[in-house]
Amino acid sequence: MTATLPARTAARTGVLVLAVAAVADDVPGIRTLTLRRSEGGPLPAYPAGSHLVMDCGDRRNAYSLTGDGSPAEEYRVSVLLCPDGDGGSAFVHRLAVGDVVTASRPRSAFAPVSTARHHLLVAGGIGITPMLSHARAAVRWKRSFELLYGHRPGAGAHLDELRDLCGDRLAAYGSTPEMLAAVRAALADRPLGTHVYVCGPAPLIAFVEETAAELGWPAERVHAERFSAADLDPGEPFTARLARSGTRVPVPSGTSLLSALEEAGVAVPNLCRQGVCGECRVPVRSGRPLHRDLYLSEAERAAGDAVMCCVSRSVDDELELDL
Amino acid sequence: MGAEHTSVPRWGTERPAPDPSARALLLVGFGARGCAITTAWAADVPAGRAVEVLAADDADEAVLAVLTARIAGARVGWRLMLAGPEADVLAARAVALRAGVLDAEIRCAVTSTERKRVYCPHCRTTTATTAPVAGETPCDGCGRRLHVYAHVSRRAGAYLGFMADAEEVA
Amino acid sequence: MTTALSSRVARFPFPFATDSYRYSTNVEPARRPVTTAAGGWGAGVLDVDDDYAAELAERRAVLAADPTRCQELPHMRVASWDALTTLLPELADTLPGTTSLDRVGDRWTWRNDRLGTARTFTVGDDDSLPEGPLAFLGSQIQDDVVLLDQREGALWADAGLVTFAADWSMGFDVGMRFLEVHGPVPRVHEAGVVQRAEQFLMRLQPGEEYRRTNWTMTVDRRLDTSTETYADWGRDRRLVVDDPALPDRLHLRVEVQHLIRLGVSNAVCFLVRTHVLSLRELATVPEWRQRFAAVLAELPDDMADYKGLTRFRGAAVDWLTSR
Ligand code: HEM
Ligand code: FES
Repeated sequence: MTATLPARTAARTGVLVLAVAAVADDVPGIRTLTLRRSEGGPLPAYPAGSHLVMDCGDRRNAYSLTGDGSPAEEYRVSVLLCPDGDGGSAFVHRLAVGDVVTASRPRSAFAPVSTARHHLLVAGGIGITPMLSHARAAVRWKRSFELLYGHRPGAGAHLDELRDLCGDRLAAYGSTPEMLAAVRAALADRPLGTHVYVCGPAPLIAFVEETAAELGWPAERVHAERFSAADLDPGEPFTARLARSGTRVPVPSGTSLLSALEEAGVAVPNLCRQGVCGECRVPVRSGRPLHRDLYLSEAERAAGDAVMCCVSRSVDDELELDL
Repeated sequence: MGAEHTSVPRWGTERPAPDPSARALLLVGFGARGCAITTAWAADVPAGRAVEVLAADDADEAVLAVLTARIAGARVGWRLMLAGPEADVLAARAVALRAGVLDAEIRCAVTSTERKRVYCPHCRTTTATTAPVAGETPCDGCGRRLHVYAHVSRRAGAYLGFMADAEEVA
Repeated sequence: MTTALSSRVARFPFPFATDSYRYSTNVEPARRPVTTAAGGWGAGVLDVDDDYAAELAERRAVLAADPTRCQELPHMRVASWDALTTLLPELADTLPGTTSLDRVGDRWTWRNDRLGTARTFTVGDDDSLPEGPLAFLGSQIQDDVVLLDQREGALWADAGLVTFAADWSMGFDVGMRFLEVHGPVPRVHEAGVVQRAEQFLMRLQPGEEYRRTNWTMTVDRRLDTSTETYADWGRDRRLVVDDPALPDRLHLRVEVQHLIRLGVSNAVCFLVRTHVLSLRELATVPEWRQRFAAVLAELPDDMADYKGLTRFRGAAVDWLTSR
């Protein structure tokens, strides 16, 4: 599954430099990339259902990893070419063996629930990619699961390997009404302790969520893959004006206010750089802060006279700080 | 259940209503007041839902065994509602949670908090008592005086007790 | 003796940056070396010192007397394997020369000459490590370990091997939510400290590592001050007050706590490495003597009570300031 996010220009931590080791086009319009570290060696492990955020020219796209997540030397992603999409998928479809791409470390937002007695996996179209990862991990760790997979006739990505992997735990459907009927039947009668996971087109996700709710599934048992842009948002550029010195410090997209201040030679106490410890608070004289921390209370946020500079930014083009 | 800030459950003053999205419900009442509540709940459940009502004097092994069996056979959409004294509700809830029922699938109405079960970490015995939180009770296992601590295990359905006079010099 | 003593001082993670101490969500990225008045600490995640073999022998004895110190709810087995396979390579890097790790697929052979350990096991195969991966891990590192599962919008302390608890019980706390675990701690709920901590921990991405410190005081070099054995050590809190050996018996106890998001299982691995330093050793560093005296004298009563310092803190402050 894919999501497109604004491009991030500045340096960031934990970037993986990956070389394309193999390209496979088993199903028309769907390209599978095998990626390895340029310098070789193990890649970070990840929970099933994780994704990479890959730099695709002027875009950054999130692509689901399809492995079981155990530490390994290669990652695989499968990308559907969207002719009228944003260009990220076209970028991937132009890649050839030997090309080098940069990507984030794996990010997890769709992990299996460890207490589940049974995992009901529901995939539509290219939404199969995180489910392939779930199915592989379930086999590896001997979890009870089943996979309902709706795809266009003849265009089922990974269908053969899924058959080998899942055996009779896979039910594949080439027609949408049949798929939806199977999903409804499953949601109507599964043991308490089952969790359902869905990835695919928005209408499929909505169908699963609505049907599950109607059939009495508490939201805690229903999991949909959604890439959270908030997590990855590099923010708009702005300028910090330091009231005492009159200095203007530009804060580009993807650079935190704290880093920009540090680079400008302004020392600010800090610890977590994640917006939780409360160390990096700086007073604001004018301009509206864009609070993204977990530290300030609602009242403090509303007052707008302080900002946690490790994560927060500015609504206005300029933020005047009492520094 | 509102036990957000500590482990000690804070039972709201409002009695919860049956979850309208439930497809099947098990209502368990402990004691006369608990059973009066389950009767009222049963009347509130919308038509067409499978409802079973169990009545017990307290959370003894027999009723907990029935609860375990019902959970084993339950399908998603099932809800558990418990009514009665805190000690019994906590014991039944512990059984349900250990069997994989989610907080979101359990609603409780507590009719009194007088009785408690207190776990002794020194000898691992659980003692029934009416001592208040911050009060004391002798341990049935090792006889030590236990301070009843404001700390509750959801899995054990018990308060933590620790030796009240451990720092005294004989 | 002198060298052992001074190396203990040199490596001690003295936790106070100012003359007063309050709870905060004091997390920072791991592996950053910290320089102290006496030396430094913190370059790695695992810190193996001269007490390594003795502390692991003590852990064995504690576990033999009370197996409830090791807890693992059934759904946590994958997380336990994950913790073992994450931390053994870390230990091998920390102890080159005296340990070795050979991996052939899932077949791992571990040798640790410092402890005389040689084991071969298959990752994920429970029969190949009969005591379980968590217990085996605990036989190789000095840290106590708690593994937290993430589900239903919360973290759950669902497994742990804790033999050196500072006045709490893993056996009682197993299965609690993070906020419930912290139920008995004063102030932190009102101040939002633990709520923020939980939010922060839930956002940790695969492989991310943070750390924090916490502290209390202990009579003698007793690491097992768990609730279970309170009857054995509680009285010393009173007896030490009038003991002329107070400066040698009373210790500042500092926990270096690491918080690691495990890649495969998505569990948060919480490592607690306990360091104790007697007042007499501590006083060999004048800055520490002054600062700790100030912190102890200023500490609010409710925090001192919670930490169990009330009986002896006056005597400790007197000794520290009388020199
Ligand atoms: C950023 C993360 C965390 C923060 C800010 C935090 C904060 C605190 C604080 C301030 C205390 C009081 C300590 C004292 O005064 O001696 C405490 C106690 C404790 N913490 Fe944490 N903690 C964190 C992570 C964890 C984790 C991951 C666990 C694992 C379960 C944990 C388990 C405990 C326990 C068991 C206690 C003792 C509670 C009792 O008295 O029963 N903490 N914590
Ligand atoms: S550095 Fe911790 S809140 Fe900013």
